[in-house]
Amino acid sequence: MQILPRHYVFLGLFLLIGITMALDISVDVKVSPYTKKMHAYIDSLPEGSTLIISFDHEASSLPEIRPIALAMLRHSFQKNFKLIGVSLYPEGTLIGYRLMKNIAKEYDKTYGDDFVYLGFRPQYIAAILAMGESIESTYPQDYLGNDYNSIPMLSNIQNYDDIEAVISIADGSLTTHWIEYGGQFNIKILGAVTAAMVTTYDPYLSSNQMTAMIGGLRGAAEYEKLLGMKGGGSRGMLAQSAAHLYIIFLVILGNIFYFRSRKKGGKS
Amino acid sequence: MDISTIIAGLLTLIIFTFLYKDNPFYKMAESLLIGVSIGYVLVITWTNTLMDMLFEPLFQNAELTLLIPLLLGLLMLGRFSNKTVALSRIPIAVMIGSGAGIAIPTMLYNRTIKQLSASVMPLFLPDGSFNFSGIVVIVGLLSTLAYFYFSREHKGKFGSFAKLGTFFLMIFFGTTFGYTVMSRMSTFIGRMEFLLSDFLKITQ
Repeated sequence: MQILPRHYVFLGLFLLIGITMALDISVDVKVSPYTKKMHAYIDSLPEGSTLIISFDHEASSLPEIRPIALAMLRHSFQKNFKLIGVSLYPEGTLIGYRLMKNIAKEYDKTYGDDFVYLGFRPQYIAAILAMGESIESTYPQDYLGNDYNSIPMLSNIQNYDDIEAVISIADGSLTTHWIEYGGQFNIKILGAVTAAMVTTYDPYLSSNQMTAMIGGLRGAAEYEKLLGMKGGGSRGMLAQSAAHLYIIFLVILGNIFYFRSRKKGGKS
Repeated sequence: MDISTIIAGLLTLIIFTFLYKDNPFYKMAESLLIGVSIGYVLVITWTNTLMDMLFEPLFQNAELTLLIPLLLGLLMLGRFSNKTVALSRIPIAVMIGSGAGIAIPTMLYNRTIKQLSASVMPLFLPDGSFNFSGIVVIVGLLSTLAYFYFSREHKGKFGSFAKLGTFFLMIFFGTTFGYTVMSRMSTFIGRMEFLLSDFLKITQ
């Protein structure tokens, strides 16, 4: 049974999110143990540690991924880590480069000394395994065409033995491959993933195959709170709470009408 | 406001019009998205894969071993004709064989052995307290496995235990659905933030 045309449902959601976003109110969020663990782990790494940030996502998930990626990049640059950007999805290549470059500018970081972007390599399993042997042979040149040997911060980086952790910023199952294939080289894997993927990675977190994880816009908001800054995550929390209440209301409404029609003997 | 923001804002609004009903503007934006995505992936694949990993090392550095993947790649093109389709089975066989060789032991270890060992937890924690979560995990694991055990009819005590497994499955599906809704809302919120701040300049 159709209670009301579907476009009224979408219009309601559009208006609700539009109004709550326009109010520009930040809601205080309670930080989950997941996010605390991620923050504590990154905070515990010594300054100057080298991390790989892998942009394993497509352009379509950027609205959700962006606040998460920015929070991770800001924390990493605050801690003066050396960051190596890679991408195992072609679509994430330019997005990752632009995000790294923009945030590096905020912290006065220099390309080649503080961060480098190596770009895309096809066949993610082969790329993950190959980097475990030699990052240089996997990426003889960086994204901009500079030779690996000419980049100062890579002079002592040969493989995962010289890397503290990999942060996989993902909208799909690519973090699984980092866990399973990168894990063979005993490297710590951190996941910064979309909310839809949280239940996929939960078992890996419980079994300690993955070191830490943050998920979705909510995870980004929690991380921003721990960093003491306002970002896309915290700005979107009021809208998200309102949208969830709206959906719960629609589910209840739908069920009321369903059971009412069943009582009358009508078809659902 | 720069031209890219105007284009992105207009295309976002055009895509949203689908929520009312399908229309030619939406179709145009959808086709544009597919075309641009494929074009971009094609360029990245050409520069980062074929040029960086095959043609430059092969023709500039004379790495002759790369003739093998080049030949296998060319054989794959045999699929375009019925006369040469058999040739394409060679690279496919190489891919399946090597892929399975790499994936099977890794997946068996990471998805079965490691997960199984993580499911078996001590009944008492180091501080002496009872580990209730451990019981929930092991009951959930066994009852869910029982539900998928089809060699015995789901009747009596076994049937009840298998039924318990369905409750655990429902909890998992519910959680996953909840997170998926949250994810889609986050994407929508991210796009609305772009519209309100960068495009319409209503918020900062």
